[in-house]
Amino acid sequence: MAYEKKHAEHAHAAHAHGEEHFREKHLMLDPLPRGQMNDMVMESMMEKPTWKFWVVIAILSAIVAYGLVYSWAKMIAEGLGIAGVNRPAYWGIFLVNTVFWIGISHAGTFISAILRVFKAEFRRPFTRAAELMTTFGLVQAGFSIFMHMGRVWLSYWLMPYPNQRMLWPNLHSPLTWDLLAITTYLLSSTMYLFLPLIPDLAMARDRSTGWRKNFYKILALGFRGTEGEWTHLRNAMNIFAFAIIPVMFSVHTIVSWDFAAATRPGWSSTIFGPYFVVGALHSGMGAVIVVLAVIRATMKHMKYFIRAEHFDAIGKLMLIISMAWAYFFFNDYMVQWYGGDKWTKQLLHFHEAGPMGWMWFAMLIFNIVIPWAILWNPKWRSTPWLVSIVGILINVGMWFERYIIIPVSLTINRMPFTWRLYKPGVEIPLGLGTLAFFILLYMIASKLIPLIPVWEVQEGQMAHELKKFGRETVVTVSELE
Amino acid sequence: MSEQFSRRDFLKLAGVGAATTAILTGCGPASRYVKREPYMQMPEYNYNGQSTYYATTCRECAAGCGLVVRTSQGRAIKTEGNANHPLNLGKTCARGQATLQGLYNPDRVTNPMKRASRGADSTQAMDWEAAIQAVADALKNNKPEEIAFLMGMAPDHLFDLVTDLAKATGMNAPVRFGALGMFDARATLSKAAENLFGQASLPFFDVGGAQVVFSFGANFLETWLSPVSYTRGFAGLREAQTKQRGKFVQFESRMSMTGGKADEWLPLRPGTEALVALAIGRLAAEILGGSMPRVFASVDPKDAATKSGIKLETLEHLAEMFASSNGALAIPGGAALGQSNGLAVAEAVLALNALSGNFGKPGGVYLSALAPNQTEYNRPASAREMQALVQNMFDGKIKVLFVHGVNPLFELPASLEFGGASKYVSQIISFASFPDETAREADFIFPDHHGLESWGYQRVATGSAQPVLSGAQPVVSPYYNTRATADVLIAAAQLAGGSFAAALPFKDEVEFLQSKIASLMSEADGSISGPDIATFMAYFQQHGGYWKLTDGRGAPSAEDMLNRTIAAEEAEFAGEGEFFFVPFVSPTLAEAGANKPWLQELADPTTTVMWNTWVEMNSETAHELGIENDDMVKIVSEAGELEAPVYVYPAIRPDTIAMPFGQGHTAFGRYAEGRGVNPADLLGSHFNEAGDLAFAGMKVKVTKTGEKKLLSRLESVMGVYGIGLGEEK
Amino acid sequence: MATLADLKISEVKLSEEQTGKWGMVIDQDICTGCQACVAACAMENNLSFVGEVDSGYGRSMHWIRIERFWEGAYPEVKMTPNQPMMCQQCGSAPCEPVCPAYATMHSQAEQLNLQVYNRCVGTRYCANNCPYQVRSFNWRDYERPEPLSNQLNPDVTVRRRGVMEKCTFCIQRIHKAQDKAKSEGREVVDGEFTTACAQACPANAITFGRVDDPESLVSQLAHRGHGVKHLEELGALPSVTYFKGG
Repeated sequence: MAYEKKHAEHAHAAHAHGEEHFREKHLMLDPLPRGQMNDMVMESMMEKPTWKFWVVIAILSAIVAYGLVYSWAKMIAEGLGIAGVNRPAYWGIFLVNTVFWIGISHAGTFISAILRVFKAEFRRPFTRAAELMTTFGLVQAGFSIFMHMGRVWLSYWLMPYPNQRMLWPNLHSPLTWDLLAITTYLLSSTMYLFLPLIPDLAMARDRSTGWRKNFYKILALGFRGTEGEWTHLRNAMNIFAFAIIPVMFSVHTIVSWDFAAATRPGWSSTIFGPYFVVGALHSGMGAVIVVLAVIRATMKHMKYFIRAEHFDAIGKLMLIISMAWAYFFFNDYMVQWYGGDKWTKQLLHFHEAGPMGWMWFAMLIFNIVIPWAILWNPKWRSTPWLVSIVGILINVGMWFERYIIIPVSLTINRMPFTWRLYKPGVEIPLGLGTLAFFILLYMIASKLIPLIPVWEVQEGQMAHELKKFGRETVVTVSELE
Repeated sequence: MSEQFSRRDFLKLAGVGAATTAILTGCGPASRYVKREPYMQMPEYNYNGQSTYYATTCRECAAGCGLVVRTSQGRAIKTEGNANHPLNLGKTCARGQATLQGLYNPDRVTNPMKRASRGADSTQAMDWEAAIQAVADALKNNKPEEIAFLMGMAPDHLFDLVTDLAKATGMNAPVRFGALGMFDARATLSKAAENLFGQASLPFFDVGGAQVVFSFGANFLETWLSPVSYTRGFAGLREAQTKQRGKFVQFESRMSMTGGKADEWLPLRPGTEALVALAIGRLAAEILGGSMPRVFASVDPKDAATKSGIKLETLEHLAEMFASSNGALAIPGGAALGQSNGLAVAEAVLALNALSGNFGKPGGVYLSALAPNQTEYNRPASAREMQALVQNMFDGKIKVLFVHGVNPLFELPASLEFGGASKYVSQIISFASFPDETAREADFIFPDHHGLESWGYQRVATGSAQPVLSGAQPVVSPYYNTRATADVLIAAAQLAGGSFAAALPFKDEVEFLQSKIASLMSEADGSISGPDIATFMAYFQQHGGYWKLTDGRGAPSAEDMLNRTIAAEEAEFAGEGEFFFVPFVSPTLAEAGANKPWLQELADPTTTVMWNTWVEMNSETAHELGIENDDMVKIVSEAGELEAPVYVYPAIRPDTIAMPFGQGHTAFGRYAEGRGVNPADLLGSHFNEAGDLAFAGMKVKVTKTGEKKLLSRLESVMGVYGIGLGEEK
Repeated sequence: MATLADLKISEVKLSEEQTGKWGMVIDQDICTGCQACVAACAMENNLSFVGEVDSGYGRSMHWIRIERFWEGAYPEVKMTPNQPMMCQQCGSAPCEPVCPAYATMHSQAEQLNLQVYNRCVGTRYCANNCPYQVRSFNWRDYERPEPLSNQLNPDVTVRRRGVMEKCTFCIQRIHKAQDKAKSEGREVVDGEFTTACAQACPANAITFGRVDDPESLVSQLAHRGHGVKHLEELGALPSVTYFKGG
C-alpha cells in the first residue's frame, strides 16, 4: 500500500534528516492527502472481517446471551435472591459495575472535550474512539443500575412523568439526582459523539454503495461540507465541548454522593466527589489506551493514525491522574483515620486486615505502584502492549476500589450484630455480560462508524508545518479556529 | 337443654365480662349445641373485616396457658394470650405464637389411614366409621390388661376420659409422658417434695417475690414447668421501681438462656450441685449464727470448692448474699436433677430454702395449687416408668398400644428401645395430627384435631397461685377430615359395648366435658358460675376456663428438713470420654416445634442458630483440639454416636459439651425431617433415685471429622466474636 | 388546612412532643431473649420465613431481632443484656430522604416511618442508610405452602419479591384502635391496644404507647432516667428508649 511504502522511505531517511525524524514521530507532521486518508479509514472499516473476528463475535454474543439475557431474565423472575446481596451488603457488584462503567465513560469526554478545549493536538486521531467508549460504557452502566433494582419492571416510576396518582420522584434522593445526571450525560455525550461524526459520515456516504450508502445518508443528515455547515457544526461542537465538561464532572460527583450523602462509616466523606471524578478518569484513561492498542493492532492502516506519540501522551496523562488519585486516596484515608470514629476505624482496619484485605492491597498496587513504576519511562509508556497491560491493571484496580467502597464497606456498620460478608452470585455472569456487550458494541461500531475523525486529523495536519531556520527544523502551528 | 339455647343468647353472654375485645364462646363455625338461625341474621364472624376472638388453651406444651385466638371469616389469624387467665395474664411464648403454623401446617395428617406396613410410606385412606370400628375391635378383641394408652404430658380431659375408661374396664392406666417432663425432671421434684414435705407435688417457686434467687440448673425462663409464668416472675424479681432490684445467681455447667440473665453465672463441675448447695447452706448458717443445722453439718466447704471448681471466696460471698437477704430463694431444676444424684440435689437445694425460711411465704417455695377438679398431683411418667412400659411391650403383655399427643420414638432416648419393643405389640394406633416418627411406625393413624380445632380442658399443674382449669374450644372448624380422639373413643366404646360402653355413656366429647365440669358450677370462689350446665359451659368457653379466685398454693412444712441428712456425694457419670454431655431442650423448638417453619427460623436465644443442631464447645477447648466454628465433630457415648457442627461457645465449661434437643426428626413433615440430629440418641438408660433419666449424666468422646457444615446464625460471627475482622479479639 | 407557617420545615419540632407520636420503651434488664416477640411479629405481620441457607446469609425477614454480645472471658463471661432491635421509627429518619420513589415516608399522623410496599422499586438505599440495620428485603418470593396462607392477617399486605419491609409499630392495630375510638366518639386510651411484640412479651419488657402524652405509661417509663436511645448521636431522633438496667 501507498502509505506503508511511503513510510518505509521515511524511515529509511530518518537518520539523515531531522525532518524525517519529526514526520515519523508525529502524525500532525506527517500529512497525507485527504483523499488518501479517507480511503484508508474507509478501507479499515469496510475490510472483510476475518474468521477470527466472527469467532470473537460469536463468543461475545454467547456471553451476552447467557450473562445478560438469560441470567437477567432469571433474576427478574426469581428475585435478587440469586445474587449475593444480603443484609448488611444491600448493594453489591451491580452498583460496583455501575460506577465502574460510568468511570470508563469519563475518559471519552475527558479526552475529547477537555483536550479539545485546551487544544491538545495529540487528541485528534482518537477522539472518536474515546467518545464511543463514553456512550457504550453508559449503556452498560444503565444496564447495571437496572439489574440492581428489586422491581425493575417499575423503574419508570423513577422518572418524573405526569400520572394520575400525582406521584413524583423524590428529589431529595441522591439516586434521583443520579438518574437525572446519568440520563443527561448519556444524551449529551451521544450528541457530542454524533456532531463530529457528521463530516465523517458524509465522507463514508460518498464512498460507499448499497445499504451502507443509505445508512450513512440518513445519519449524515445531508452534510455537504459547505462553509455554512462547517461554521454551524464548529459552533455546536464548541458549545458542547464546553458544556459537557461540567456535566461530566457532575455525573461522577453525583454518583459519589450516593455514597457520601449516606450516614455510613467510610462513606460520609466530603472528598468523595473529586475523588470519584479522578478515579473515573483513572480507569477511563486506562481503558482508552487498551482500546487504542487493540485498534492499532487489529485494524488496517491504524498504525499510521495511532502512533507511539499518542501512547506516550496518554501515558503521561495516566501518570498524572494516578498521582492525583493517590493524592485523593491518601487525603480521604487520612481524614477518616484521623477522625477516630470507632466505626470508621473498624472499617479501615477491616479494609486492610479483613478477609478482603488482599483486594485493598491489590488496589493500591494496580492503581499506584504499577503505573508509577512503568509510566515514568518515556520508552516504556510508548510501548503499546506494555502500557495497555498497565491500563488493564488500572481498571482491575479501580474495579477493586469500587468493590471495596460498596460491598466491603457495607459489611461494617454501626450494628455489629449484622456484619456479614458479601459473596457474589449471579452478579458474575451479569457483570461479564455487560463487559462482553461493551466489547461487542465496540466491534460492531468499528465496522459501521469511521473510528478516525479524518477531518479533524487533516485540520491538524494543515495547521502544523515544519519550518527550517538555518539548520534547525522547527514545528510551527497556525491557529485555524 | 341445648336446643333452647340460641346463638343470640350466646352473643349476649359474650358481651359480659369482655372488657376490650369481645371474646366469644364457641359459637363459631365449630359450634355445637347451638340452634342454627337463618343466614339473613348474619353473625359477626361473617362480616367482612370483622374479627372474632375465641378463648382457648395453648397445647404447645403442658403448662396450659390461656389463649385468645383472633379469627376472621373462619380462619385463625393470630394467637394472643388470654389477659384474664391467671397463669399467663395475656402473655405467650414463641411456641404459643407459632401454634397457627401447626394448625395450617402443610404436612398434617388429613384423614384416617391404615399403613400398609409399619414404617412404610404407602397408606390407605379410611373413613371414620371403619376407623371407629378398628378402635372398637382393638378394645373388644383384646383383654383389657393388654391395652395400653400412651399420652402426652398435659393433664387434660382426654387423660381423664381414658383414666375413667381404664378404671371401669381394667385396662392399663394411661401413661403420660413427654420429653419436656423428662428434661424438667418432674419426677425428681415431685419425689423430693414427697420426701421433704410428705406430699408429692410440684413445688412452686415464687421468683417474682424474691430478693435473691439461686438457681441450680433450673432453666425456668426456657421450657421448665411453666415458662411464661416463671418469666413473669423473673420480671418481678428485676422490678426495681417498687423494691430493690432482685439478684439472680445461676449454677450450671453451660450457660443457658436463663443463665444468660444471671448477675452471677457459676460454671460448676457437673455433679457437684448438691455439694455446692450444702456448702453454701453451711456457710450461710455460719453467718446467720446459731447451731449448725444437721443437714449442712457434714459438708466441708473447702472440699466443695475444690470439687466444684468454684472458689471458696466465691462460695463465701454467695453465702453472704444468701444469708443477708430477707428473701432468698433456691431453685433446683433441669440438668442438675438429671444426674445420678438428682434427688439429693433437689433435696439439698430445698434445704437451702428451709434455711431461708421462705416456705409458703411470698418469694419462697409453695406447693403448686391443684386444679379445681383435682384431688392430688399426678405427675407424668418418669423415664423409668416408661422403661417399665417398654419392658411390658417386649414381654408381649401389651397387644394394643394407643398413642396420643406424644412421639416416643423421638422423645424417648433410643437406648430405651421403644422402637424395638413396638415390634412385639400387635397393633399400634396413633392419634397423631402430624406424621411423626411414632405415627410412621403405627398400623393406623386416626388423626385428632389440632388443638385449636378441639374441645377440652387442661389442668394447670403449676405456675399460677390460683387453681386453674384451663378451657379449650374450637376456634375454627376442622380443616381436614380429622376427628376428636375423645369422640372416637366414646363412639368406639359404644360399639365395643359391655363395660366400655358403660364407662363412657356420653353422646360426644362435649357431653363428657360437661359432665366433668358440672361439679364446679356451684362452687364458691369460682371465677364463673352458672345456673345450668349450658350457661356454665358457655362461660367456661368464653373465659377460657375456670379458676378459683383464691390462692390455692400449699405451704410446705419446713420442720425437720434441717435435721435430715442428705448424701452430698458427687454424681456418677456413665460412659467413657473426656467431656460431660449436657443435652438441653431448645427454648424455641422444644420437643415438637421443629415442624413449624417460623420456630425453625427463630434464632436460638443463646447461640442465634436457626434451622439446625449444633454442639457447644468451650472456646479454649476448641482451640486446643484445633476445632473451629462449623467443624463437624463426632460424639460417641456408650449409647450411640452422632455428628454435628460445633458452635464455639464462650460460656461453657472446658470439660463440657452441650447440644439442643428438638431437631433430628426422621419424620414429622418437610420442615423437621432430616434436619439436625437428636441428642437423645446419645443418652444411655441410667436413672436417678426418683426414676428420672440421668440425661446429664453421660460422658462422651469428641473427635473432629474434618468436614464442615455452615450453621445459619442470626448473629454476625465477625461482629459478635471478632472472627474474620482481621484481629483476634 | 395547612398554612404556610406549618410547612416551614425549620419550625417543625422533631421532638417527643410531636402530636400523635408513638413510641416504645424496652427494658433490657428483664428481656430474657425468649423470641416470643419475634414470633408474634412474624405471625401478626405475615412475615415470610426464608429457610436455612438464606437465613444464615443475612436474609432473614425478622422485623425485630434480639441482639446479644459477650463480655469477658470464661469463667467470668457474661451475656450482655438482650437487646431487641426493630425499626426505631426515627423522627428524622435517614431512610426517608434517600428513597427515589417516596416509598418510605414520614407519616405526619402517627409520626412513624411508613413503608409503602407497592411504591417500592427495590433500590435498597433506605436499608443501607438505616443506622440500625432493621430493614428486611424480599430477596425472593418466599414459599408459603398451602394451607399456611390461611393464617395471613388480612390487615397486612403480603409482600412480594423486590420490596423492602420493616417494623411498622403494628400500624394496622393503631388504625383499628383509632377507628374504633372514633366511632365511639372518644380518644384512644393508653393501653387500649399494643403492638404484637409488646402483647406477647412474657416479661413485659416492651411498652408501647403515645410518647407525646406525658400521662401515658410509655412516657412515664421513658422519663424515669437512665434510658438510652441507640445511636442518638446521629440525630435521627429514634422513638424507642432502652433501659439496660443491671
